[in-house]
Amino acid sequence: MSETILEIKNLTKYYGKVKGVENLSLSLNKGEIFGFIGPNGAGKSTTIRSVMNLINKDSGSVVFGGRELTRDDVEAKSRIGYLPSEVFLYDDLTVKGIFDHHESFYGKYPCAARIHEKRQELVARLKLDETRKVEDLSLGNLKKVGIVLALMHEPELIIMDEPTSGLDPIMQKVFYELLREERDKGNTVFYSTHILSEVSKICDRVGIIRSGELIKAGQVDEISDKQLTFVTVTADEVDALVAELGVKVLSREGDTVRFANTLPDDELIKKLAAFRIRKIFIEEATLEEMFMHYYEEVPDDKT
Amino acid sequence: MIKRELKVNLRGFVIWTATMLVLLLLIYLVYPSIVSDGKGNKVNEMLTAFPPELLKAFNMDIAGLDTAFGWLKSEGFVFLYLIIGIYSCLLGSNIVLKEESEKTIEYLAALPITRRRVVADKIVVSMIYILSMIVILGAFNIVALNISETPDNKQLLLLSITPVFPSIVLFALGLFISTFTHKTKKMLGISIGLVFAAYIFNVISEMGKSVEGFKYLSAFTLADSRGVIMNSALKPACIVISPVLFAVLLALAFVRYQRKELV
Repeated sequence: MSETILEIKNLTKYYGKVKGVENLSLSLNKGEIFGFIGPNGAGKSTTIRSVMNLINKDSGSVVFGGRELTRDDVEAKSRIGYLPSEVFLYDDLTVKGIFDHHESFYGKYPCAARIHEKRQELVARLKLDETRKVEDLSLGNLKKVGIVLALMHEPELIIMDEPTSGLDPIMQKVFYELLREERDKGNTVFYSTHILSEVSKICDRVGIIRSGELIKAGQVDEISDKQLTFVTVTADEVDALVAELGVKVLSREGDTVRFANTLPDDELIKKLAAFRIRKIFIEEATLEEMFMHYYEEVPDDKT
Repeated sequence: MIKRELKVNLRGFVIWTATMLVLLLLIYLVYPSIVSDGKGNKVNEMLTAFPPELLKAFNMDIAGLDTAFGWLKSEGFVFLYLIIGIYSCLLGSNIVLKEESEKTIEYLAALPITRRRVVADKIVVSMIYILSMIVILGAFNIVALNISETPDNKQLLLLSITPVFPSIVLFALGLFISTFTHKTKKMLGISIGLVFAAYIFNVISEMGKSVEGFKYLSAFTLADSRGVIMNSALKPACIVISPVLFAVLLALAFVRYQRKELV
């Protein structure tokens, strides 16, 4: 059984009357890349900022490495790497200056022995120029500096909020390699994104958040392979068929309807057998379609 | 953390201190010509035309303007209290808040350092700069006045210490109020307004018995330059109340900051 490294328990956060997240629970295992996906405003950043104790939780708790993660648990913080969605650093410093400053906070922790070496490795792989001033950096280079800062102390838990925005495709590839290497070393990545294609490329498990609530969590393979198909049927009694299955029709042309199906194939076929089917086409949903399905199926009145 | 904060805040400190030194230097260079050939006595005579309450508010009833030291005891220290007070209040309201305003707080909060330590280190740096400013300006006044005349050095030394009392309170007040907002822009007007309001309350409180209560609303009451000039001693109440207010406001700031939403 996988060892849990981070556990978010019943997290609720409201901004006044506006819901940030409600009763959200999820667990991250050691040595996995967990994709945390949802549209803008779904509650991803609220969740992450609650974990990082940047905002106050209304209720719920966060357990890291077996003990509650409080805002002043500096030992725990030394084992976490954080990349915010927008990287803001001290403009007056050079890249070298900010890295030196960062290193100075980790002198008394076990990572101190390797932090400089790791920094040099990351700088080389991400092709960063340490002599440049932070204020002169492009969005992409600033993001790369943020990545080095999140990884150089070799944290057990790496929390990243929209990490690839601003990175060119070549750097994205290097970045994915870095994350896989971290995972293979047993470290855990909490990867928040709204870019669906990233999830299939990099994540082992995924949690889907919408309107502040976790609506699905599981292995990427399971979610994308098994639980959603798109069915196109041409039948004589198509209205009755739709009523029987209780599905939402995506498109209709005469006697032909297309709908999303979450029933197992054998159950679907048993139900369809009651009708005279002239033509049937079952497509496996792509990961993107899968996520879109989950985004759309929660009624709006839940928001 | 302290090293970086010292570096970041050095420029502001140098600009404020240098500006005040230049202004004081100009006054000390020009003052002898103002008071030469008995003109100083004429200035003093002219002051008798002013209402006694007003003269009292600026210590002009107990310090003549016929010497540079006399000017320092009256108008000079008003200027010093105000400028050092504004610097202190602005430093207090900005030093922690700027991390939020400039959005570097997400980086800082992820580092293995407690919020208390962040605030404490910034307070230490602020105190270093505020006290350094007071020491430098005090030393400059002592040296400059001893070159041009023979002031009462004990009184001058004690007066040079007095800006400490209102300044540390104004610093702590600025820091505490800054925990209620996320933008340094908002705090600029508030800080300057606070200092001027404190100064005006102090002036008003000198105007008569019925308005004496205003002194309790002003940090500048703690400077008590009048008491130092008259008794050549610091008032024990100021020595006690100022650090107590400073400590209480800092404690409130710590409590507020500990629970503050940083983004």
